Amino acid sequence: MRVPLGALGILPAAVKKLTLFCYLLLGFRAFGAEDEARRALDKFFENEVRPILANRCYECHGEKKQKGGLRADHIGYLKAGGDTGPALVPGKPEESPLIEAIRYKKSDFQMPPKEKLPDSEVAILEKWIQLGAPWPESATGSVVLSEGGFTDEQRKFWCFQPLAKTQPPQVAGNWVRNDIDRFIAQKHAELNLTPAPEADAREFVRRATMDLHGLPPTEEQLASFLSDPSPEARAHFIDGLLASPHYGERWGQHWLDLVRYAESDGYNADEFRPAVWPYRDWVIKSLNADKPYNQFVREQLAGDEIAPENPDVLIATSYLRNPIYEWNQADVRGQWDIILTDITDTTGELFLGLSFGCARCHNHKFDPILQKDYFRLRAFFAPVQWRDDMKLATPEEKAAYQVQQDVWEKATAEVRGKIAAMVEPQIEKSVARALKRFNDELQGMVQKAEEQREPMERQLVNLCNRQLTRARRTFDALKSFKSDEDKAKYKQLQEELKTFDSLKPKPLLDAFVATDVGPAAPSTSFKTRKGEQEVAPGFLTLLEPGEPKIAPVGSSTGRRSALADWITRPDNQLSTRVIVNRVWQYHFGRGLVASSSDFGKLGEKPSHPELLDWLAGRFVEQGWSLKQLHREIMLSATYGQTARRELSGVALNIDPANKYLWRFNPRRLDAEQVRDAMLAASGELDLKAGGASEDANATRRSIYTIKKRNSQNELLRSLDAPSGFSSTAERQSTTTPTQALLLLNGDWPLARARKLASRVQTVDGAWELILGRTPTPRERETADAFLSKRLGGPDKPPTVSLRAEGGPEIFREKTEHERLLDQGNVWEGDDFSVEAIVRLDSVDANAAVRTIASRWNGGKDNIEAYGWSLGVTGEKSRFKPRNLIVQMVGEDENANIGYEVVASNLRMELGHRYHVAVTVSCAEHSVTFRLKDLEQPEAAAQTAVVSHALKGKLGYGASSFVVGGINKRAPQHQWDGAIEALRLVSGRLSESEWTADASRWSNALALWNAKGGVGELWAWSGDGKSTEAADPRRQAFTDLCQVLLNSNEFLYLH
Amino acid sequence: MSCERIQQPTSRREFLQSAGCGFGAVALAALSPQSLLASTSTAALNPVAAKIPHHRARAKNVIFLFMEGGPSHLDTFDYKPLLNELAGQRLPSSFKPPLTAMGEVNAPLLECKREWKQRGQSGLWISDWFENVARHADDLTVIRSCVSSGINHAGGVCSMNTGSVFGGRPSLGAWVSYGLGTENENLPGFVVIKDSEGTVVNGVRNWGNGFMPAVYQGVEFNAEGVPIKYLDNPKGVSNERQRDKLDLLSALNRQFGETRSDNTELEARIRGYELAYRMQAEAPQAVDLSKETEATRKLYGMDKEETAVFGRNCLLARRLVENGVRFVQLYSGAGSKWDSHKGIEKAHSKLCQSVDQPIAGLLSDLKARGMLDETLVIWGGEFGRTPMSEAGDGRDHNPSGFTMWMAGGGLQGGRTIGATDDLGLYAVEDKLHVHDLHATILHLLGIDHTKLIYPHKGRPERIDQNEGHAYAKI
Repeated sequence: MRVPLGALGILPAAVKKLTLFCYLLLGFRAFGAEDEARRALDKFFENEVRPILANRCYECHGEKKQKGGLRADHIGYLKAGGDTGPALVPGKPEESPLIEAIRYKKSDFQMPPKEKLPDSEVAILEKWIQLGAPWPESATGSVVLSEGGFTDEQRKFWCFQPLAKTQPPQVAGNWVRNDIDRFIAQKHAELNLTPAPEADAREFVRRATMDLHGLPPTEEQLASFLSDPSPEARAHFIDGLLASPHYGERWGQHWLDLVRYAESDGYNADEFRPAVWPYRDWVIKSLNADKPYNQFVREQLAGDEIAPENPDVLIATSYLRNPIYEWNQADVRGQWDIILTDITDTTGELFLGLSFGCARCHNHKFDPILQKDYFRLRAFFAPVQWRDDMKLATPEEKAAYQVQQDVWEKATAEVRGKIAAMVEPQIEKSVARALKRFNDELQGMVQKAEEQREPMERQLVNLCNRQLTRARRTFDALKSFKSDEDKAKYKQLQEELKTFDSLKPKPLLDAFVATDVGPAAPSTSFKTRKGEQEVAPGFLTLLEPGEPKIAPVGSSTGRRSALADWITRPDNQLSTRVIVNRVWQYHFGRGLVASSSDFGKLGEKPSHPELLDWLAGRFVEQGWSLKQLHREIMLSATYGQTARRELSGVALNIDPANKYLWRFNPRRLDAEQVRDAMLAASGELDLKAGGASEDANATRRSIYTIKKRNSQNELLRSLDAPSGFSSTAERQSTTTPTQALLLLNGDWPLARARKLASRVQTVDGAWELILGRTPTPRERETADAFLSKRLGGPDKPPTVSLRAEGGPEIFREKTEHERLLDQGNVWEGDDFSVEAIVRLDSVDANAAVRTIASRWNGGKDNIEAYGWSLGVTGEKSRFKPRNLIVQMVGEDENANIGYEVVASNLRMELGHRYHVAVTVSCAEHSVTFRLKDLEQPEAAAQTAVVSHALKGKLGYGASSFVVGGINKRAPQHQWDGAIEALRLVSGRLSESEWTADASRWSNALALWNAKGGVGELWAWSGDGKSTEAADPRRQAFTDLCQVLLNSNEFLYLH
Repeated sequence: MSCERIQQPTSRREFLQSAGCGFGAVALAALSPQSLLASTSTAALNPVAAKIPHHRARAKNVIFLFMEGGPSHLDTFDYKPLLNELAGQRLPSSFKPPLTAMGEVNAPLLECKREWKQRGQSGLWISDWFENVARHADDLTVIRSCVSSGINHAGGVCSMNTGSVFGGRPSLGAWVSYGLGTENENLPGFVVIKDSEGTVVNGVRNWGNGFMPAVYQGVEFNAEGVPIKYLDNPKGVSNERQRDKLDLLSALNRQFGETRSDNTELEARIRGYELAYRMQAEAPQAVDLSKETEATRKLYGMDKEETAVFGRNCLLARRLVENGVRFVQLYSGAGSKWDSHKGIEKAHSKLCQSVDQPIAGLLSDLKARGMLDETLVIWGGEFGRTPMSEAGDGRDHNPSGFTMWMAGGGLQGGRTIGATDDLGLYAVEDKLHVHDLHATILHLLGIDHTKLIYPHKGRPERIDQNEGHAYAKI
């Protein structure tokens, strides 16, 4: 190595340094001996170079942090470099980025970022590189970098190793029930742990039922298990659970957590996704059918390529639609980038158990995931196109639909033509305004002909078009007309159009799915300091360095099929381990790898690596059957252990976290389990399967409730249900005072307790319904003492009904039956229906409205007044008397308080029995009335659809739901006559669901039937002279039931 | 000490037993074991117990005055004489064309109609929209070089609160609660109060806990009536009846727990209900303004219609901080009311007036009570506004250069940090991105933001996503 003197031109300022400098030179030139030279270089390095690197660089480029993927604490790292390539070229300072950076010549590439190094230090580093960047060998352990920049350590990391062919070990003793137990027992023996005794029948049945169904066991389930004498009793029981459709409803929730399923866009507008629920149902059905997991995965990643015509497969691609989305984002290019990032990140952690997201901006700091690999994965998704033009229907169904649609279109061509002539110019303007929000580039793309657009342009235009279509869809024609004449004309045309409705085909379900943009993909590239680098689809370089062969499928690139093929390869060591580990985690509360979405270096190592590989291998062998896996796990002695073993002895010292399963893990129920169990206890649980979601304040299973990202149901949210922004692999289990307040004082939990109190008459009854067992003598004593204190003496079950009989359907002023108050705290939202059988005996002599039902305090100009009422007008009303009307106070389009009277102009005769059915919709800005005089059976029902301008928030006021009046005592607003039956229903009821036979009313948020009496969900309110006396016993039982619903025993599996 | 990842214990005790990765310090386990550990041993059971900061803290509490919708820095705290000289003309071509939300890049520059004066000893420039706050000029540290990544409200508000334009991350208040715990367990550590029924953009997730446990989330207080949802007993349930219920619950839970003593979650749950009960008693008292003198109410502007609402909220904030609440966030203009795309003169006049005296009152009151030194007051919105006009007399969003100010918390007032260009469009000097602002706020609270880590899905998560730098010179 020769160092020309000129290269050492910049002399260090300090004399000390100069001395060393000379020594160094001398060492080189004069003595020539190699070891002498090396010693001199070492000394130079240790005294001069290393201090600079350590003081100036290590903070960000050392062991702990590697900004830009670069470490500066070993020459190996510096030569290998960071995200942008080698940091230095030995002997060539001018070509070394390190020198470029410290010279501060370029404004965007300066190191250290805070302050330029003193010239002296710059000079030393220049010189060091000039000298060939010598690094004393002995100074640190050497780092061996193998091909591709991966270290040996990385290559040998456990999760990248092929699945090991393991045999269940032979172990002594008779604890073992199946092969799983052999692995567990071996570890027990190694660590000197002993397994816990077997859980008793009750513990096992509750655990297994909660585990597979998310519901508490019914009395019958427990009885059937107890009465099965066979040694196979547990197997029979588990097979029974696995065969039930409730299995999919529980395990589907796990999957929905992982794919961040939600029914709204997220972001501020958080728009509802009305067509996403079929995906939820697809997940549930697939699990119930035990669809092989490889197929389950393939359909979600590439269902459109596998079976584009099959709606039951196509819907699975809804997986690609789960990212958050902002409909009014003008920067659609940026938004598309975010969407692809989201899909890539989620796919990486969901299927492969790797934190791919970390490698988006730089090579992964800890795992062998190159930045390039991130974009190789992303490239599979680059051609994705979100589709809004497809239907969930078979080709036959579509054809049949089209035939009928053509009939309708032909029949209506003229009237639609007239409508179009009236509104089209305005709509065009509105769309043009929406288009202007995009930048010139995007506007240009939108205006291009489709065939001239590049694939990427087609994707961006698709996003633009969603906004333009929306502008068209939300165009308010009536508002756009200036003259009343036009308005009337338009309304009349609409009426005319409606007369053809009978010709319309039944609408097909919208498909919330994705396909590819076409057979050609847009390019995928990423930025490095060296510029843009283009990448083709590919897998992890460490495992599959080459590029996969990808053949187009139809009009699709075939990329996602190729990815799905790789992920579901039987020998894919990542995906197979990941899924069996997830299943294990959901059963035991902790995975064999505790970090179930991160198998990388920052995750945890498997507690039982052989078992993990054995399970993964067996899972594949058994045809990727999840049900087989559940069965195997749940029949093991390991799963059968009791959770009721105290932490002590060996376990306390070496395994307090129960990693090695010396007992079953105690767990709190998940949010959905809590809510469903409360409804099951109160007898209100609506087990209807599938279909559109409903408000969680109603009574369907939690998986079928509306999941809006920004406005989660408060009970589910408070019990740690995820909000759906990113993939959730494990639930939190939090305890907060505000959660306790909600459970104690919240309307919904209280309504369940009230309902329960109406079902039980004794302490034992309460225990049985809520905890599924009889109380212990001590518990009974505690409960009796509570009742005794509250009742001022021992509790005696009532012998007679507390409530008076006689005329329960009559609502009359100045009696104790003026109004009926809802005790269940129902919540109907902004789209709801009311159906009732009524008789009106008088109307108000002035303009007041006789009220059938309401949520309203009668006010009009403040937020507390938000609400609605359904009633019949009085003598002096400006809408003429006996008019069936809805009054509404809510938010209008400008977010102001709006009050509207929506009059049907359908009139009610006094003294007649009527069937009234009304649907209020803020979404559609309409109220639909239906009135049928039951005393004239031959006469048709009269109907009216009237529009209004309120946007919603009808339920945000201070009032609760009331039958026969409004939320305060106001005799002139009260009903006078009979209300035999009434139901409040969320959403719209179809024509076929309307019926005057109240005994057939099933789904209802609130149901009043005079024949059944007030029960616990209603309370009469009267004139004050004879209001219902407080019933201390009922109150005490409500409290007792509420306490049990809040008890640890109810909320925990322990 | 290292802890490979967050432990997943079934009980708190187990947590403590597992290699010192105690609950409060969960995240910090990989760091210095002394820092931010629970300060008392009993508190170890409790994730919100008060903790010792990393370094000497200048501030203990935060009151964040969030002007939602984006207040104009150009008309309040960032004086740009050139703007009025060039008003009516297009943005000079020497400026990089900005990306604006509404796209009116080429609209003429809009003059500032305010009167500007230098205020206090320090001579800070403050416009006449903040005459009252201006009297505290010597207490303010005005940061004129704030930068955010969010160009629209959803992204901007989310970013200012959580550091990310996307949902799902914990908010600043949650990080602070996580890092420092609370001083009064009978109240939430992080409280949010809005000035109207309007919904803050993105809703509750602005004060959400993201991937952290729910104990760290902000709790919304109603300014009037019952402060927390469900704080009151259900209708018709007396305190005695409530107490009886809780006693029964506690008795049954204790019987259940007798043979399950190692499951400390069960114990924590019993405590949770007791805390809730105490909160029922304490929260109404903390927000009971009847104990305040007439003079104090007046100081906050509660006697005048236009300032009554925000005045009350500011006074509530002081009372909450006094009662040990760590982080209080007040929203002005909830529902993007500061967003003045047109008619900025009228819209901003009204809003500035509604907050000016209340904020000044808050600063005076904190000072008089000796609380200003340890309370950091932060003023700002999700972004500022453009020098270009929009719709003739409004201004568009400007996340590339805007102003926030801080006061109290031991800060040396009467100073400015950073600067925007001559038209206030881009921050050009000492740029402080939202990440840097968050890091700096934590710094003032004694927390090294690079060490406040919450491990999540294998990533050591920080508030700044590893991108922020604390502006230690503050």
